[in-house]
Amino acid sequence: MSKPPQSPLRQRATGFWQPELIGIVILIAAMYLMPSVLVDDFLISKYSRYLVFGLLAMALSLSWGYGGILNLGQALPFGLGSYCMAMALKLRTIPVQTGADGLPDFMVWNNVQQLPWFWVPFYSMTFAIVAGIVVPSALMGGLGWFMFRGRVTGVFVAITTLAMLVVVNLLIIDQQQYTGGFNGITDLAQLTIGGIVFDAYNRTTFYLIASVASVVLVFGYVLSCTKFGLILQAIRDQEGRVQYFGYDVASYKITVMAISAAIAGLAGMLYTIVMEFASPTFLNVPLSLSVVIWCAVGGRGSLPGAFVGAVLVTGMQGALSESKTFLDTWTLVMGVLFVLVVLFLPSGLAGLIGQLLAKIRPGDGHGQNGTVDVKSSHPKEIA
Amino acid sequence: MHFVLEQVLTGLSIGSILLLVALGLSIIYGTIGVINLAHGEFIMLGAYAAWALKTYVGLSLLPGLVLIFLGVGLFGWLVERILLRRLYRRPLDTILATWGVGVVLQQVVRLTAGGDLRYVELPPSMASSVSIFGVEIAAYRIFIFVVAALLFLVSWSIMNRTTFGLKLRAVVQDRNVASCFGINADRIYSLTFAYGAGLAGLAGAIVSPLKSVSPEMGTGYVVDAFMVVVLGGVQSLFGTVISAFALGEVTGVIAFLQNDTIAKATVLILIISVIRFRPQGLFVAKVRA
Repeated sequence: MSKPPQSPLRQRATGFWQPELIGIVILIAAMYLMPSVLVDDFLISKYSRYLVFGLLAMALSLSWGYGGILNLGQALPFGLGSYCMAMALKLRTIPVQTGADGLPDFMVWNNVQQLPWFWVPFYSMTFAIVAGIVVPSALMGGLGWFMFRGRVTGVFVAITTLAMLVVVNLLIIDQQQYTGGFNGITDLAQLTIGGIVFDAYNRTTFYLIASVASVVLVFGYVLSCTKFGLILQAIRDQEGRVQYFGYDVASYKITVMAISAAIAGLAGMLYTIVMEFASPTFLNVPLSLSVVIWCAVGGRGSLPGAFVGAVLVTGMQGALSESKTFLDTWTLVMGVLFVLVVLFLPSGLAGLIGQLLAKIRPGDGHGQNGTVDVKSSHPKEIA
Repeated sequence: MHFVLEQVLTGLSIGSILLLVALGLSIIYGTIGVINLAHGEFIMLGAYAAWALKTYVGLSLLPGLVLIFLGVGLFGWLVERILLRRLYRRPLDTILATWGVGVVLQQVVRLTAGGDLRYVELPPSMASSVSIFGVEIAAYRIFIFVVAALLFLVSWSIMNRTTFGLKLRAVVQDRNVASCFGINADRIYSLTFAYGAGLAGLAGAIVSPLKSVSPEMGTGYVVDAFMVVVLGGVQSLFGTVISAFALGEVTGVIAFLQNDTIAKATVLILIISVIRFRPQGLFVAKVRA
């Protein structure tokens, strides 16, 4: 990594040109260069999926790494976003078995006579895209309001979010006639916006995802530099003290939950476009806990770190999954790796890089990588 | 009347299973404060141990219980020694680490014993059913009820009537002061964790004839066990008992009125509300300050 450009005005720990930002710039460049390295369209589609997971992990890093909220239900907003997109795309298909008003096929199978009221607005793609962000955000924000106004903290936040995820997952599987149940929503149309078709095996989809990811990464970084972001980190480190200063701690936490959920919802919509279906497995417990692993491996306190962590882990998983034995062993290796990271490397790969950088240039490291230092040297305060 | 009794007995049966799987977790969480997400996998290990003992050694379920308790307990002891004691200062990370242990255990079992469902035979002496005021109930369910009650009594006595329990309670109240009085807090913690893990193994072995045994079976149990512990209040064994049977009855009734899914979802919502409005649980142990 090159030396960060010096900006005389921003030398403090809150400065703009942090290793974090350099990481983001490198990451964005790498994303856009990827299609020129990967020639196969199938590989492109695979990497699009990994990038979506990166986005999801980054969203968790915002609430977990920066806000100290361990949300074990991160797959919930992701899945909801995914279903919103799938509902809109389903209504754009020309069904093989049509009921009244082009009823989706699984509704016909379940003897539903009329399109349910909450499906109707999804004829509008604009509505679907807005809903895919607002619905998850409102739900998680609401859950946050419910928890944090009651001063629920620590492990209880983890349990509550996990329980909420299980509830919604159970309901979606149970309400088969409206949600497609266990099979999810399949056989979707392709997303078309302004004449551009986003085929899953197409570079336009890849660029769409890369662009969204870039914008969101920069947005997350700017957010972490604002006063909001700083107070959030202060809450993570010393919640009581921030409260005594007169800040309304709960509303900061609620806001970051909502923002993180909005990003996860966005990622979910992109995931439907890549996978061409939505399924209850998009909001199940294993996926939700995987997000936590990606985040922990990459570095929970670093947005690009979490992003890269997700891409690395899912990428390796994908590369090994061709053979059944490898896939089985992989889960084992993953579990062991995860335990080791939690034990010895609480700030993940990003923290490791931060420590190395600090060693390389001990002189001017003062303040330059302040954020990285704080996170890597006080792991217990993140926890 | 017949119908009400039937419902009550179903609830009691569900409740005794819940108590069985939650007891180990309750002890570990209530004393050490570690959220052990590998608890479900400890239960799974117990169930597989019962299956393996029967298949390879020919030892039937009941005599095998002692071995299973000791084996899974030893494993828990190792996990505490090697892993958890490094994380006591980072409580959120213990969730992650124990979950990682769970993933590893699941995968190891899947690779060695295979991913297929396994079945453990009922002990032949208990295959019959008993009639209570005209309601037929399987003898094995009564056995589970008795075992759960016994294990609870044993655990309660260990905590409240032995020197070990006294030391444990001292360490829980104030680790430093307890250490000053010559109590080896590390040893107390690892033994407690081992005991909790052993109970989980025992629970897994005992429920194995009723449910199919698979590498994933632990996930459901850990959720159930958590619900019981959270509802009952973390430091109260009596709370655990009451909430186990209360949850058992509620689940039984809702499952009868609606279906299993709705029953589960309702119970989860109930738990979320309890965490929010009564974070100390419904039944709090009175601790002298």
